[in-house]
Formats: sequence, structure tokens, C-alpha cells
Amino acid sequence: MSGEEQHPDLEAQERAGQEEPELDRGIVEAWAARAISNPDRAYKATFYLATFFFLVTTLFPFYWLLMVALTPRGNLSDVGVLTPAGFNPGAFVEIFTRLPFHRYMFNSFLIATVATVLVLFVASLAGYVFGRLRFRGRNALLLSVLVTSFFPPAAFFIPLNRLFNTNIDALRPILSAGSLYNTPYAIFIPLSALYLPLSIFILMTFYSQIPDGLEDAARVEGTTRLGALFRVIVPLSAPGVATAGVLTFITVYNEYFFSSLMTDGRPQNWAPMLEGVLRFQGEFEVLFNLMAAASIVAVLPVAILVIVAQEKIVSGLTAGAVKE
Amino acid sequence: MASVTLENVTKRYGEEVAVDNMNLEIEDGEFVTFVGPSGCGKSTSMETIAGLTIPTEGSVYIGGEEVTNLPPKDRGISMVFQNIALFPHMDVYDNISFGLRLRKYDQEEIDERVQKAADVVQLGGMMDRMPEEMSGGQRQRVAIARAIVREPEVFLMDEPLANLDAELRVHMRTQLQRLHRELDTTIVYVTHDQAQAMTMSDRIVVVNDGHLMQVDPPLTCYNEPDNLFVAGFIGSPAMNFVEGQATEDGFTSTYMDTPFDPTNYGIEPGQNLTMGIRPEDVYLERDTHLAEEPSRTYEAVVDVLEPMGDEIFAYLLLDEDVEASAEGRGEGQLLISLDPDTVIAPGDDIEIVIDRSDVHLFDTDTGQAITHDILE
Repeated sequence: MSGEEQHPDLEAQERAGQEEPELDRGIVEAWAARAISNPDRAYKATFYLATFFFLVTTLFPFYWLLMVALTPRGNLSDVGVLTPAGFNPGAFVEIFTRLPFHRYMFNSFLIATVATVLVLFVASLAGYVFGRLRFRGRNALLLSVLVTSFFPPAAFFIPLNRLFNTNIDALRPILSAGSLYNTPYAIFIPLSALYLPLSIFILMTFYSQIPDGLEDAARVEGTTRLGALFRVIVPLSAPGVATAGVLTFITVYNEYFFSSLMTDGRPQNWAPMLEGVLRFQGEFEVLFNLMAAASIVAVLPVAILVIVAQEKIVSGLTAGAVKE
Repeated sequence: MASVTLENVTKRYGEEVAVDNMNLEIEDGEFVTFVGPSGCGKSTSMETIAGLTIPTEGSVYIGGEEVTNLPPKDRGISMVFQNIALFPHMDVYDNISFGLRLRKYDQEEIDERVQKAADVVQLGGMMDRMPEEMSGGQRQRVAIARAIVREPEVFLMDEPLANLDAELRVHMRTQLQRLHRELDTTIVYVTHDQAQAMTMSDRIVVVNDGHLMQVDPPLTCYNEPDNLFVAGFIGSPAMNFVEGQATEDGFTSTYMDTPFDPTNYGIEPGQNLTMGIRPEDVYLERDTHLAEEPSRTYEAVVDVLEPMGDEIFAYLLLDEDVEASAEGRGEGQLLISLDPDTVIAPGDDIEIVIDRSDVHLFDTDTGQAITHDILE
């Protein structure tokens, strides 16, 4: 096309490309104008702002918890917003001497681990069935699993509490009292059941993505369907399994409602970590510094687990990403 | 080594019939290929043999024993899959030894067998590679090694070459034939590519719509197809079909007629017939001497030429008024194959003869073949 007679749109575009005329603008207006002409700046700015906001809201409570934990008992009312009132790291030792807090943590850790293993095993079987098999009534069954998770956990408490306090003779060989109250079973059985649907949904999605050919190959090579599930499908769904496992572990480990009501609160009776934290409030005073220290220590196992699992999740996600 | 028998096997998926009352006997050590268009039930038939699918009705026997309800792992079979299906989370050694490890073989024997299988498919020195680090052909060889390492009685292959490029496919084809000779195992092979079926098999099983159309050695299927489907499916380019009727003294259609004595073949005058002519059984008039039983000459106009190098495919119109259809295979059109040195140009008027000893006649209504030559 000759340059003499340009389309009006093209002319307008060319004009826009030239320098903006100098205008009398304030800082914000100038910034907005630059952001419009160069949207990447706006995206970057929004990203940093959002990240900063997110980090402050998640990490500041931790920071302040640390400040409270470091403050000596007498100065608890003087804790500043950013600084402790004094310096007493002994609180982190005292929580183990005053109470067997490690026993509470061990109880919680064990209960959460057993619940996670149980949930992953059962959810794997259910996820396989829902994700890979076609059968009549599949959707109705899936819906009924989902419905279970609609109920508030409190709705199950009264009947379960009655049930767990009943002495069942058949259980006497395993449990001295014959009832489930004051045993770890009383906590992880209801919690596993409550958090199972979520894991089933996560694993169902992942298992359905595994090509049929791989399962067929495993079965021809010598596994049963179950063998194919645990030798091929589960390892290939590692990110999904890790996600479901971490979610279940964290939820059970941090759970309050059943944890506080299904035992009498003594560590030898499998009272969980949370009971331990609350035990630092006595009749006449509340030892906020010890509670804060206990809270921080209690977070460590979960933090370690997430860091380890996250590596697995990332490696699982990138393993199949590069093709040829 | 074992024979495979399908007895009245039917597989239904709801209302859909994938395999309909199939009876088939595969002999010990035979290389049999299931061939047919996609969705014809050939893969379902193979899955029934493998045990990945349980037939709705009928029985499956391997080596004379009924295995209809046995799981795949107890059938003494191994399989190579269309999508190769190597376990992505295992290296080559673990992939190949997977079945042996499950069966709790000694570590020593596993090593020895894996080594042997890897040698057969020339995979030495790649034992610790992951599948994603390998090329398509290498993965295919790992899949074959995984299948042969267990020394199965029956070796099943479901379109194992479908995902390879053309050159590699031809190479693997000869490899597989060599493998069959070395292993001397029964091989059941599934493909939609009739070239693979023709080149490798002892017998081919042509399947359409869940029915067996013909079970014969490749050349028999090519030279004496039992019905219109086999005639059209086997051979590339496909056979020419001319639809017409029987008369008192031969075959007649709009553009072509051939005299013969219908009583010789039990044909009633007025019966609907389809004449089948392979492209290589048509000759130019000056090459009449090459035909065993030349017919009378027919006039034709050259429409399109496709020089292939070793031969020329010529699309002819049997009458100047014929409308050429897009694929060049409609009524009044004829595809012939010519010597590559033939001097010919589109638009030329030519005369052709047909070798009557290779003309096929089919009953149009039933699709069944009546004769594979029409001699007077």
C-alpha cells in the first residue's frame, strides 16, 4: 500500500505511538498513565502488593506468638506489637517440664498418622472405583459420599459419644475398659470418616487420569486389580496422594471438637496436643507465654511434613511435564 | 507355546454388540493377525483372549484349558499395547523385570532373563534410562522386551506399531517377523493396517462389525476374497467394483459387460452381481499378451495419473459422460496400475483389456463371492 492515503485507523494508531503530550499530572495520575501504556508494570505491582498482604496476614500472628512466648510471665500485659516485654526463652523448656507436652504431641501425631494412612487406603480404593470403573448407581453412590461431608461434625457427636462410652464385651481383649472413650480410636475413627469424602474426591480425579493401558499392562504382567492400583496407579498419582495426605494430616492434627471431647484430657488417656495447650490455663492464672510456646512447638511437625511433601508434590508434577 | 480357541464368544456393551458369536482356532506357534476398520471388534476380541474383558457369552481356551474367567495374570500371556504403556515411574530394567519380580524369581535369574530379552531387541546399555528419556522406537523395544522376558505361551500385540513413524514401522515389521521365528511362540496381532497384516502373518482374520469375514493366509484373502468386504479391505489401492446384473449370457452394467455362461457358476439371470477387478489385472490393449485370459477391449479416457515411481495409477473414465467422483472410485470409473515406463497423459483415449482369470464376481445382495475367475 502506498503511504500517501492511509486508513484513518492506522493514522490513529501511529499518533498513539508518539510521545504523550506533557500534561500537568499528580503522582498517582502519572503512575496510572504509565500503567495503562505499559500493563506489565501494573501486573507486577499488583503481584507484589498481594504477596506482601498475604505474607503479613499469615506470618504476623506467628511472629506475635513468638513475642508472647518470649515475654516473661510477669510482663505479659506489656507485650508490644513488635517487641516482647523482656526475654525468656525458658518458656520453650518449661512447657515440657511443667506438663508432659511431648506426650500430648506424640498422641496427636500418632492419631493424625493413623488417620492419614487409613484415609489414604480407603480413599484409594474408593477413588479407584469411582474414578476408573463404570457401574450402575455410580453417581448416586458418589453423591451419598458427598452428603456425609455436608453434616456439621457436631451432629455426629452425641450418638458417637454414647456409642464410644458403651462397654462392648467383644472389645475387652483389645481395650481394657471395653469402651472406646479415652482411646485414640475414639478420635481417629470419626475424624477419618469425616475427612474421607474430600480425599476420595481428590484421589478419584487423579486416578481417573491414569491411562487404561497402564493398568491393563500391569494386570497382564501379573498384578491383580488391587496390585495395579498400589504398584502403578498410586505411584503415578503421587501429587494427588500427597495433597490428600497432607490435608488429612493437618486437619486431624489440628482438630479441636472431637479431640477435646473424646478423652478426659489426661495425656496417658490419649488426649491430643490441643488439650496440652489448654492445660496451661490454671484456676487462677492463664500462662499465655507457655501456651504461645506450646503452640509454636506444636506447629513444627506439620511444617516439616508440608515442606517434605511439597518437594514430592513439585517433583511429581514436573516428572511427566517434559515429553521427549 | 499354546493354541488359542474362541468358542461362540459374544461381547455386548449394553445394547452395543462388539463381538458377535465368534469362533476361531489359532494353532500353536501361529502368527495370526486380526485386521479390520476401527471399531470392528478386533481389539475387543484380543482383550477377551488377554482376560482384560470377560465375554458376555462363550468360552476362551488357551493351550486347551478353559480360561474364560481367569484373570490376565494367570493365562500365560503377555501383551504389547498400542500406546506402549511402559510404567513411567520405573526405569527400563524395572519395566522389563516387573512381571518376573511379581512372580518372585531369583534375582540371578531375573538378571539373566532381562539381559537376554534386552539383547533380542537390542537394548543393551539402556537399563537405567527412564521411559521419558527414550525415543518412540526404543520405548517400543522395551515394551516388546517386557513382553518376551516372561516367555509367554501366547504373545498378544495390539497395534504395537501404530504410534511409530513410517520408516520405523517398516523396520519393526521385519524385526517382529524375525522375533516370531526365534521365539516360535503363538502371536496374535491386531492392526487396522492391512499392509502389516499381509506382510507378517501366517493367517489373517478379517473382522467387520464383530463378525469374522474371512480367516485365511494373506494371499488367499487377497486372491480369493470370500466376500465384498474382504475384497474391498485387503489390497491397496482397493479393488474396483462394478455393480450390474446377470443376463442369459453374462454380466451387464451401464459401462461394462462381459459374456460368460452363468450356468457354470449357478448364477440366475437377473441376479444382482458385483464384478471386482484389481487394478493390476487391467492391461492396455497393446499389452494384451500379458493377460492370461484377455477379455474384449473396452474404451476409456484417462482422468488422473498418479506416478508412484515403480508403477503408475491411472484413474479412467469408462465413458466421456461419466462425472468423476471426488475419490475417483465411483460408477463408470476404473483405477488401473500401469508399468512406470508407459507413455500416457490425462485426456488420452485408450483401450484396455481385463484378465478374466482374475475377475471376481460377488452376489451384490448377500455380499458373498461366487467366483474368482470367469472363463467362458
